[in-house]
Amino acid sequence: MRLSDIMSAAGLSFYAQVALVLFFVTFIAIIIRTFAPSRSREMDEHARLPLDDDHAVPRQPVNR
Amino acid sequence: MTRAPAASATGPAFVAPPPSSSLDRFSYDDDIVRKFLFATLLWGVVGMLVGVLIALQLANPFFNFNTPWLSFGRLRPLHTNAVIFAFAGNAFFTGCYYSTQRLLKARMFSDGLSRFHFWGWQAIIVSAALTLPFGFTQAKEYAELEWPIDIAIAVVWVVFAVNFFGTLIKRRERHIYVALWFYIASIVTVAILHIFNNLSVPVDALKSYSIYAGVQDAFMQWWYGHNAVAFFLTTPFLGLMYYFMPKAAEGPVFSYKLSILHFWSLVFMYIWAGPHHLHYTALPEWASTTGMLFSVMLWAPSWGGMVNGLLTLRGAWHKVTQDPVLKFFVVGITAYGMSTFEGPMLSIKSVNALAHYTDWIVAHVHTGALGWNGFMTFGMVYWLLPRIFQTQVYSKRAMDAHFWIASVGIVLYVVAIYSAGVTQGLMWRAFDETGRLAYPDFVETVVKLMPMYWMRVVGGVLFLTGTIIFGWNILMTWKHRPAAYDVPVVEAAPLDRRPAPAPVAAPVPAGVWARFTAVGWHRKWEAAPMLFTALTLIAVVIASLFEILPTFLIKSNVPTIASVKPYTPLELAGRDVYMAEGCFNCHSQMIRPFRYETERFGEYSKPGESVYDHPFLWGSRRIGPDLAREGGKYPDLWHVRHFENPQAVTAKSIMPSYRQFLTKPLDFDRIQSRVDAMAMLGVPYGDAVNRAPAMAREQAKSIAAAIAEQGGPLGLEDKEIVAIVAYMQRLGRDIKVTAAPAPTSAPARGGTDR
Repeated sequence: MRLSDIMSAAGLSFYAQVALVLFFVTFIAIIIRTFAPSRSREMDEHARLPLDDDHAVPRQPVNR
Repeated sequence: MTRAPAASATGPAFVAPPPSSSLDRFSYDDDIVRKFLFATLLWGVVGMLVGVLIALQLANPFFNFNTPWLSFGRLRPLHTNAVIFAFAGNAFFTGCYYSTQRLLKARMFSDGLSRFHFWGWQAIIVSAALTLPFGFTQAKEYAELEWPIDIAIAVVWVVFAVNFFGTLIKRRERHIYVALWFYIASIVTVAILHIFNNLSVPVDALKSYSIYAGVQDAFMQWWYGHNAVAFFLTTPFLGLMYYFMPKAAEGPVFSYKLSILHFWSLVFMYIWAGPHHLHYTALPEWASTTGMLFSVMLWAPSWGGMVNGLLTLRGAWHKVTQDPVLKFFVVGITAYGMSTFEGPMLSIKSVNALAHYTDWIVAHVHTGALGWNGFMTFGMVYWLLPRIFQTQVYSKRAMDAHFWIASVGIVLYVVAIYSAGVTQGLMWRAFDETGRLAYPDFVETVVKLMPMYWMRVVGGVLFLTGTIIFGWNILMTWKHRPAAYDVPVVEAAPLDRRPAPAPVAAPVPAGVWARFTAVGWHRKWEAAPMLFTALTLIAVVIASLFEILPTFLIKSNVPTIASVKPYTPLELAGRDVYMAEGCFNCHSQMIRPFRYETERFGEYSKPGESVYDHPFLWGSRRIGPDLAREGGKYPDLWHVRHFENPQAVTAKSIMPSYRQFLTKPLDFDRIQSRVDAMAMLGVPYGDAVNRAPAMAREQAKSIAAAIAEQGGPLGLEDKEIVAIVAYMQRLGRDIKVTAAPAPTSAPARGGTDR
């Protein structure tokens, strides 16, 4: 008896549906969390990160 | 700071913060950014030049120059590998090294690892250029490189990952910006895809066989192939977009929430989409439908991302007319939108039935590659030039010229190849009023494309011209760099010495809902890069397992056929020649169950027919006819004449000549190790494990005799031609066998030829 015989007989297709539900619930949870009004201000701060990365002190010439 | 890429930008504006002993002082490594930028330019020109050459070869086979290592089948993989992994890859590394350090307020984890990554990656590209034209290939699209190079890729990629995650750990910015999420997903997923698709059994130093066969190999390959598009060409460039677009527009991204949604949607969905490359093939239908559904769903987040990118320009649209950087970004993001609309559409089965195997797919790919990857790269580099070379961009007029020439090039290319694809697809399925194929001769459907193929050459030449202008501008800018680069010192507080930010949420109200939205669990993930990476990994791996494992483990997915037997040793050697020449780039071996396909090519292909095909050779494009039922259609001599000079047999054929098959000796001694490798993979070879060369010589002698008897040249029994003819004559015949195995060199015509 090969592994494929065992797997074929095991009736595993139910687990695909379980996974579908788990993934879907996780995804919905992420959406809700992301769009929660309480996070708006924090999100706006995060959005500014790329614009806020040039804080240099006066130059220090270094040879190439 | 002022943003004027061509005018006055000379590096960051320096704001001296009040001196403080609690701040770390450090500088960024921009030398590695410059290195990757030059590599991007070099390989871009090389890859596009090869692209123009192979476009010429399709317009006129003369451009194969009767030279094996310049023929289309060998150069097409070189083109795809060069533009994807060399041009787009180096472009991603350029932007990744620049933005990662700044977003994390940390120098890269190790300069040594950065340099190892750079030189290692360039060495891999060089080794690709030294193997692919000489026929060393695994024959799997975008995974052609042979096993030693695959190992090198894995090593270099791990070094990149260590360097990247090391930087994440020593970062000085608590929040990990969304661009970095896209980088993380790309790095971990590409590693998984690469390793699992390339698992193979080595035969010798530059030859291996995929451990998967037939349907399973096809499934693995397109799980890899589509996700290479997703995680090598899409998510890395989305990361670049989310960093460089706000920089160029001088304002934050339109919606940070939308960018998070964009990220998680792609991570959850992309990995499932691969099977849409295998509609109506021998792949089980449930898999094909799953791939289609997820592909259609992908339309939503993709367009969310496109809108998010474009609306980042809100209030700054007037700048687009002035600033070439923004022009490139706007067209690039629009191309992302167009190709991510078209992708879901092409994945719908009934649309795919028309488009599959045609140039439509090639047009779709080039909208994405030239428009999205190309223009995002050009925009990003033009933005970087004044900053990393600390001088003005040499010529703003050249930037504008590049933009317009390349844009016209894309339009010419894509319009020509769309029409070619739809034209050929419609001609293949056309029936006349008596119910027969309207164009029974395949070459009729090829001749019709020639004007469009020439238009593609013009479009490609224009795009390449733009890239050369781009290169000239880069080199001139570089020439005007200062004698010594300034290396600004940056100050930032280390993370551990800074108090954790107070919770942003208002006082926690009662109730499950309120607690859920206030817990901050997602914020915790975001702050824990390793946990975040692990969760991304789990989403990708579990999805892959659920989709791929059933075809390996559930028997009903690949019904076996008792009459299907392994290839003889000589046929196996012929199959290796077929792979080395890259025949699969132009010829499919998978007849779909449509009347217009079975009328033209014969009985449709069954999953059980390719169980010994390590790797599968179903192909993805029919530049020439399908070969799945080629066995027995023509006498042996026909094949000899056709390989020697295709135009002598079919006047308008665009196939290159393979006259070297008639003179190149077949290496019988190497056949044994190949049979042994196949036997190791579970192919029931029986007696051949002991005497493969002898068996091959016997069969070669009988084929050579048949060729001579039919009036062909004498003395071919030790030449490559007998092997490839043996393979051709075997294709698709096993299911017709009822009792005794068919003679492989039978000159008799089969039952399904036309």
